[in-house]
Amino acid sequence: MTFFTIVLRSLTRRPVRTGLTLVGISIGIAAVVTLVGMAWGYEKGVANQLDAVGTDVVVSNMSGGLMPKVFNESLKAKVATLPRVVDATSILMQMLSVEDAPIMMISGREWGGFAWQKMSLLEGRMPKNAAEKAVVLGTLAAEVLKKKVGDTVQIEVEELPVVGIVDGHALMENGTIFLSLKVMQEVTGNDGKINFVNIRAIPNTSKAQINQLCRDIHGIFPEGRAMVSTEVVGTSQGFRVIRAISWSTSLLAIIVGVLGVMNTMLMTVFERTHEIGILLAVGWRRRRIVAMVLCESALLGLLGGLVGVGLGVLGLVTLGASPGVRGFIEPDLNPQLMLISIAISVVVGVISGLYPAWRSSRLTPSVALQS
Amino acid sequence: MIYQAIGLQKQFDNGKVAALRGLDLEIRQGEFVAIVGQSGCGKSTLLQMLGALDKPSAGTLKYRGNSIPDLPDPAAYRAQQIGFVFQAFHLLPTFTVLENVQIPMFGGNLSRPQRKAGAAELLESVGLGHRFNHYPSELSGGERQRVAIARGLANKPGVVLADEPTGNLDSESALQIIDLLLDLHRKLGVTLVLVTHDLSIAARASRIIRMKDGRVISDQATPTN
Repeated sequence: MTFFTIVLRSLTRRPVRTGLTLVGISIGIAAVVTLVGMAWGYEKGVANQLDAVGTDVVVSNMSGGLMPKVFNESLKAKVATLPRVVDATSILMQMLSVEDAPIMMISGREWGGFAWQKMSLLEGRMPKNAAEKAVVLGTLAAEVLKKKVGDTVQIEVEELPVVGIVDGHALMENGTIFLSLKVMQEVTGNDGKINFVNIRAIPNTSKAQINQLCRDIHGIFPEGRAMVSTEVVGTSQGFRVIRAISWSTSLLAIIVGVLGVMNTMLMTVFERTHEIGILLAVGWRRRRIVAMVLCESALLGLLGGLVGVGLGVLGLVTLGASPGVRGFIEPDLNPQLMLISIAISVVVGVISGLYPAWRSSRLTPSVALQS
Repeated sequence: MIYQAIGLQKQFDNGKVAALRGLDLEIRQGEFVAIVGQSGCGKSTLLQMLGALDKPSAGTLKYRGNSIPDLPDPAAYRAQQIGFVFQAFHLLPTFTVLENVQIPMFGGNLSRPQRKAGAAELLESVGLGHRFNHYPSELSGGERQRVAIARGLANKPGVVLADEPTGNLDSESALQIIDLLLDLHRKLGVTLVLVTHDLSIAARASRIIRMKDGRVISDQATPTN
């Protein structure tokens, strides 16, 4: 018999209570893994998309939530003349419900712009010109919408033929419906409006020069923001909101878990007052009793964390495959997030055990023995 | 002198109840002392003070010349110097007999096999070699008290404090337990302080201390022992 046997024995003596406590804490941890994993996956997807398109700087009005507010397309021409800009292209991107899919990314891209260039045509053809009312689908978008070349897709009130299927080389690109900017403006009633200007800088432009470029853009477009593409995810308000929501929801779930563990530990300490008296009477130090209670609650936390990560991964996989998310967010099964979650769970366990442990160490042996 | 009490007092409920009212007592090394008296006379309270399970309200109480309430490490005192045997056995219900006896050994430097072997030896010596893997609830009262005695001896203490060790036992088991305690007292030379209200048991001690209202009213050697 070791000290660990003693710790384990007190958790196994009431299996139902221990089990319910584990369920409580693991739901909290599962929430962390699922929500934060989704948020991280979304961020990663956006970063990959910008990379796949080959964008260095993104100009938009970032105050509009996930999809920025529209602004006048004349900005693009002004931006294109700035030093070190080699190419600029206008985009109008919206998230809309399309037919059976609850949410879809629809990207109206300036005809001939570099945003079209990196995608590879798999089937059919590209639109013939800027005015052709037709769409091409990313591979995942085609799968989610169950469309092939020759079908039509209804966007807002327009029925548009699918003329091609493309590989966009990033999950978010593949989950997108592409069409010419002109058509997009017409279909969504945003004539002359765009919400992104993507910019490519001269190759080998230094970070400082890029930052100077961003400041220059801000000078001519004060209400908007120009961001280096690698920083879009970190600074966008929309992502901050998503991150805050996912962590705060997780935090609530964790607090519920803490209360569960604390309640369980308090109950075990109360009902074992007599036994703690025995341990004190046979010469156990208060330190050892504190350690025993803390180890019990830490073990509860660890087990809850392991179960919770398992549930969370299951949740991520399920959510990732669900129609509303598929092709739009690739859940981030990040080992770092799992380790953080397990660590959180153990810390939660220890914190929940502090008060019960302190209580148990305050007992007078003779009084505890009488209870 | 192993224990010395001078003017020892203990009050409960903020002084409303006085369990010990200026008790004087001396116990020598290797003695078998029986403390008798009616319930409420303070004999169990005295035993708790001797075992550092509680602190006196006033007076002096010394173990080998050191003040017990001021011991720097009362846990070590309880673990190393004292073996307790209680009326209600006070065994841990979720641990086997063999595990219960090992519980006091955790403070020491013993390895796991040493703890196990030590506990097994002690259980053999109290006649429970066949009960290692039973739980306390599976044992008779007399057997449980034997486990408690083995546990009390786990760290080879110099003193065994027994609080009504036969109080929950039938007369036959009670006799066996007293024989066992006497046997250990003789073989190991432990100082045995036994609280009881059974005069026939007290008669087997070398000295009988009578208590009433928190004081010693008589203290006599028993001629036959």
